[in-house]
Amino acid sequence: MRTGLWRFALLLSPAPLSAQLPADLARERADYTAWLTSSPISPLAAIARQAIGAGIRLGPPDADLPLDGIPQHRLTVRGGAARLEAPAGGRTVPRGTPIRLGPYTLTVDGPVGKAVVTAFAPIRVAKQPAYYPYQPSLVFTGPLRPPERPGTVRVLAPDGLEVEAAEAGTVVVPIGGTRVRLRVLRLPTAGSEESELEIFFRDGTNGRGSYPAGRFVRLEPGPDGRFRLDFNRARNPFCAYSSAYSCPAPWRGNAIPAPVAAGERYEE
Amino acid sequence: MRFGWVVVAALVVSPPPPPGGSWRAVLDLAGGMLPFALELSEAKGRWEGRLCNGRRCQALSAVRVDGDSVVLEMADYAATISAARRGDSLAGAYRNVGNRGPRVIPFRASRGRWPARAAPAALLGRWDATFTSEFGSSPRVFEFRNGPQGLEGTMISNTGDYGHFAGAIRGDSFALAHFDGSFVYLLTGRLKGDTLRGDFHAGLRTRTPWVAVRSTGTPHLKAPTEITGADTTQPFRFAFPDLEGRPVSERDPRFAGKVVLVDIFGSWCPTCHDAAPVLVRLYRKYHGRGLEIVGLAYEVTGDSAVDGAQVRRYREKFGLPFPLLLAGINDTEAAAATLPQLRGFTSFPSTVFLGRDGRVRRVHAGFYGPATGRQHERLIREFEREIERLLAESP
Repeated sequence: MRTGLWRFALLLSPAPLSAQLPADLARERADYTAWLTSSPISPLAAIARQAIGAGIRLGPPDADLPLDGIPQHRLTVRGGAARLEAPAGGRTVPRGTPIRLGPYTLTVDGPVGKAVVTAFAPIRVAKQPAYYPYQPSLVFTGPLRPPERPGTVRVLAPDGLEVEAAEAGTVVVPIGGTRVRLRVLRLPTAGSEESELEIFFRDGTNGRGSYPAGRFVRLEPGPDGRFRLDFNRARNPFCAYSSAYSCPAPWRGNAIPAPVAAGERYEE
Repeated sequence: MRFGWVVVAALVVSPPPPPGGSWRAVLDLAGGMLPFALELSEAKGRWEGRLCNGRRCQALSAVRVDGDSVVLEMADYAATISAARRGDSLAGAYRNVGNRGPRVIPFRASRGRWPARAAPAALLGRWDATFTSEFGSSPRVFEFRNGPQGLEGTMISNTGDYGHFAGAIRGDSFALAHFDGSFVYLLTGRLKGDTLRGDFHAGLRTRTPWVAVRSTGTPHLKAPTEITGADTTQPFRFAFPDLEGRPVSERDPRFAGKVVLVDIFGSWCPTCHDAAPVLVRLYRKYHGRGLEIVGLAYEVTGDSAVDGAQVRRYREKFGLPFPLLLAGINDTEAAAATLPQLRGFTSFPSTVFLGRDGRVRRVHAGFYGPATGRQHERLIREFEREIERLLAESP
């Protein structure tokens, strides 16, 4: 009867349910908090993102991307390479590599033909992410069922950049007294063999404690061919930290009627 | 009584033994354990170390030991391993930073060396593998052999190899790893009958299943000469500054009437490091008969001062006797745009063979490094045959 159904991981263990934050999750959160509150390209530091298109002006107040104290620059993409031109000369901006411009940091990302520049300023308020109390009952293990319609789809990744993702399948989890089917996409990482199995989901806490647009949670492969889905690891898309980022549109399905009071919270 | 207290206090506060020596290290990936080795040593109060995949080692850029804390730095990749010592074990994490957040993988180590265990003959040799992911299927080739420290080998794709893998064998199962501070690769598999099945793990969580059968000799990968095409009707054109800022183009007198190898490379590219010594040997062997080589560097920052320094280091490291030009940045699309006569350029390194009339005769995408064994030797023979053939043509 329960074949293929995701089960509470801890029910497999004779140990009693414990609400203590596991050490690995505590470390993971500490690393993320350190990055979020101190990295020059943290989403908390993002002040603007702009499509480059045929070219944009940066600097003066009337520029496409105004940057206080920066004289006029022009950013163009030709033949896939971004170039930042200033009165004193120009320089190439490699994709995905931060460059400095006065007090600002710039990155150019996105697929060819759809390159975007993101501008970062020193973080004003290093607000730490907040989390719901740890919920051991919201950790599941189980199989990943093959997708009904294999193929690829263009979606926004957690950082608001468009990627070609692959339908990876579905998982079925028991939450709030019902079985919920969740769609899983494999999101590639630019310039790498690495990718992530992600679920972008909405639930009953959205706008009432968690981010209104929904949250991401990874599906983590285990050594036995099964997968772990830990809602305590649910995290906000970058648009929750800065309006510079586009929010991903909700994925078809993936609406959990019950509240998932676990993982990252959102406070206005 | 007092003496007893002194003894207890000394035991409590005595520092852990120094971390010098050999360590069996592991990264705990979601799908399995990635084994590698660390060698740490101290000389005149200064710690240094090496990170090894089997017999292939690379120096760590810094080793810091402070009490029970050990920090190993790999500056080229802005990566660190930080760990706490507890007796004869280390536990901590490998970290580097990406644009989407920190990349953290659990690390642990214990004193000693990995046992060198030879693999059975049934596992050795060349295998044609097919990787299957949600993005589709793609071919790879595995080369397995027994080295002085047990099973080793490499994995080859359409555009080159993934470097040296080393690992362990247990019964009919194996785990081969390549960890250089940036790339985190683990190949696990099991031989059943005449078929190998397993997973390729990249980073903490990416797992791609594969199936492999013994190579029959029929090409499984796309030939490196089929990947990148070229306009062969006109002389191949390039014009970039050299490391002293002087413009150099195909019209430079040193290339007139010569057979020219254009090496499209980057100092950041490990496979290019494998190719560089081969190019030096080819240059020394054939330069007197009319071979020239020019390296086009596609670097990381696009800042000529920074990139120039990086390429100068590369030139000195390999003693490259031919000119290196700063051609652009290492974005494949951007690089392709600087060489419009190439079609389908996808791979660093790529080697363009020009005849004495300056036109493209062959484009070889990628390079089989020494880790590929026979592939490497065969590639050198192919390059030599092609050069001999082109040198024999009349200008």
